[in-house]
Amino acid sequence: MANESLVPTICPYCGVGCGFYVALEDGQEPRIEYMPDHPVNEGALCPKGNAALEVLGHPERLRHPLKKTEDGWAEISWEEALDLVSEKLKEALEAHGPHTIGFLGSAKVTNEENYIFQKMARLLGISNVDNCARLCHSPTIYGLERAFGLVGVTNPFPDLANSRCILVIGSNLAENHPIVARWILKAKDRGATVIVVDPRLTPTAWLADQHLQIDPGTDVALLNGMMRVILKEGLADTEFVTRQTVGFEDLVGSLEEYTPEKVAEIAGVSAAGIVKAARSYARSPASSIVYSMGITQHAVGTDNVTACANLALICGQVGRPGAGLYPLRGQNNVQGACDMGMLPDFYPGGRRIDDPGVVEDVEEAWGASHLPTAPGLTAVEMTEAAYDGDLRILYVVGEDPINSGPNTDRAREALERLEFMVVQDIFMTETAQMADLVLPAALWAEKEGTFTSTERRVQRIRRAADPPGDAREDLWIFSQVAERLGLGFHYAGPDDVLTEINRVLPSYGGVTRERLASPGGLIWPCPDPGHPGTPILHTEGFSTPDGRGRIVPVEYKPPAEVTDQEYPLVLTTGRVVLHYNAGSMTRRSPSLAGRVPELFVEINPHDAKKLEIEEGDPVAVTTARGRILARADLTERVGPGVVFLPFHFPDTNRLTTDVLDPVAKIPEFKVAACRIGRG
Amino acid sequence: MQDREGMILSKAVYADMSRCIACHACEVACEKAHGAAKIFVDVVRDRVSVPVSCCQCEKATCVMVCYPGALSQDNGSITFDSDRCTGCDLCVLACPFGAVQLDTAGVRRCDLCPDREVPACVVTCPSQALIWDDVENIAREIRKRAAVKMGRSLASGRVL
Repeated sequence: MANESLVPTICPYCGVGCGFYVALEDGQEPRIEYMPDHPVNEGALCPKGNAALEVLGHPERLRHPLKKTEDGWAEISWEEALDLVSEKLKEALEAHGPHTIGFLGSAKVTNEENYIFQKMARLLGISNVDNCARLCHSPTIYGLERAFGLVGVTNPFPDLANSRCILVIGSNLAENHPIVARWILKAKDRGATVIVVDPRLTPTAWLADQHLQIDPGTDVALLNGMMRVILKEGLADTEFVTRQTVGFEDLVGSLEEYTPEKVAEIAGVSAAGIVKAARSYARSPASSIVYSMGITQHAVGTDNVTACANLALICGQVGRPGAGLYPLRGQNNVQGACDMGMLPDFYPGGRRIDDPGVVEDVEEAWGASHLPTAPGLTAVEMTEAAYDGDLRILYVVGEDPINSGPNTDRAREALERLEFMVVQDIFMTETAQMADLVLPAALWAEKEGTFTSTERRVQRIRRAADPPGDAREDLWIFSQVAERLGLGFHYAGPDDVLTEINRVLPSYGGVTRERLASPGGLIWPCPDPGHPGTPILHTEGFSTPDGRGRIVPVEYKPPAEVTDQEYPLVLTTGRVVLHYNAGSMTRRSPSLAGRVPELFVEINPHDAKKLEIEEGDPVAVTTARGRILARADLTERVGPGVVFLPFHFPDTNRLTTDVLDPVAKIPEFKVAACRIGRG
Repeated sequence: MQDREGMILSKAVYADMSRCIACHACEVACEKAHGAAKIFVDVVRDRVSVPVSCCQCEKATCVMVCYPGALSQDNGSITFDSDRCTGCDLCVLACPFGAVQLDTAGVRRCDLCPDREVPACVVTCPSQALIWDDVENIAREIRKRAAVKMGRSLASGRVL
């Protein structure tokens, strides 16, 4: 077409990292053009990808810095806004110390921006830094770091096609990462067996040869039961176990009581089904495990991840083509935000903050001294600290903790107690409405930088449009605040920051701007400019100090909240294909919101009949924390006794519990006890 | 390709229901390309989803009932002349798939994205459930997939 230019970019929604072009033509609205030569999505896009540009020129975009006054929001200049942020930070630092300040980074902004944001925090002595990975995959961080020594998907998506058995557990990828279904179907075309473990009959379960519809929160029992079958039937890979792992003997002793019959009783599936799944996974020449928030969002999330890793280790199903572990991450740059050190206990590159050698290295790289040496607070702990008055200032970037965190009403009360909250975002989210100052940010198509997808694939995004009004790139905003705090940042732009990342993060050493020009980017570890990247991890042993994987026995523990007479139903939460996370973007996209406009609750027809509820009725869902209204969707997607709420609408998390996993501090979003009545 | 009566058949978009994951990407892509979706995904009994769009019938009932001749069929492809349309809705009622709609812009049905090499719904489909090909090739592909399934069932000792 005449005067058309195609700007290659990466989808801003989930962590799959699909490529497409923003097509620009004189006098026309920007539109999407497909990218058939992208190695992951081969041109395809899910509905959210197709609708990605709908937020670009949205009338509700934030256009000016806004300060809360007695008469409502007042537009102020950037000068005034930036002065206010830096003054508040300075005051709190001097009067109360860095532990009273929290920085919430964002899995939606670039690597360069997260890197600078956490660097700014740490140079100021602030170690309360976190990002929403806390709420989706923090158990993966701790579980896989311990098991394999490195946190990330082990194999790229196209390699799923080489698997002969794929065990999907706690992931509704057909809705939440639809492009992954493409690769699973390619594996099926080549004869692979697919097992889906999920309390719901999801579109992912439609792809399964075997669907194990377990009761929510019984994953450890199931996985232990499968491992017991594997050991009893001599299906473990003893050669791999001897050569590449430690801890096997402890595991053997721990599994004795997990007989198929007992596990069948706990998990609500048949004993024969457990045996069959165990045999399929262990016997296949190359098996993969795909998991997501059904595994992680539990008070036993870290145990769940560990059980998955144990299963892979005893069968030697890792470190080869077709054999790997795929923790599917929810956001476009959640892997990158974690890589960049936007976590309270890790410096950039996944290096522990309490390791003196690491602190020394970072101090040298940054020319700094007295950097934090102890972990700070996690996201949910920051909310708690605000509630208790121990946290005074919160700087939130591109996150909406009011909607995305658990137990909304209490979180709202906590954030109200803050002395000062600044929120930097593209829309006036529920959290932003509570802020004292709101800074308008540019979104992904309005800036340059890199995202790291869930495959560890680092890819470039490019500027295709101007930000609306006075909205600015997050990097510019951070640099301006840093300058006012005397931190001496002199970055000309994202390329300068990437150059520093190349120098500071060993695994990103060769991920240079020039090498990211072609579709597909580079998969880290990529330590030097000549390195081709590492699509498959652990081919030559694990990344632990002795090169061996860690098998760590875990015991089944029931969910923190169990049903009783008052709350007889199990409430589980999750996502639907047409929406995304807290919904601030998708609820504003007409082609998505028009298809799923309001909150609904899935109820099994059997339960609905007992409760005298009919399709479409407004019903009240109540837990110990609150009561909300939703429209009844009578469906066999959920079994009797289980109800499901998507969490894209503001009310859902008013019901969820803030009970945390003791290691990863993730709330148990996936199980709560509830009752349902007529609305 | 030639049909049984020597008529040229157009390619069509076919759906492999065993692959459809009800993601609605085809609907949104179609809406982006044409202003309104001309393909519709319906989930049946919570267990299978079916994308429905114009089947490009050899003997198209929508054309047959169009008494003013607004819809016409030539060499397999169906064209629409808005000047002749009276808005009677007979085409909508005649289509056995409900794939024809009539609104202020005229008859809405899949036009196979004439400006594109491959229709947008087919390119965008994450699970490769939509197929764009001659019907003979599609039948060959379906036979191949069925053979794989049957072979696997036999190999794993399951009763067919």
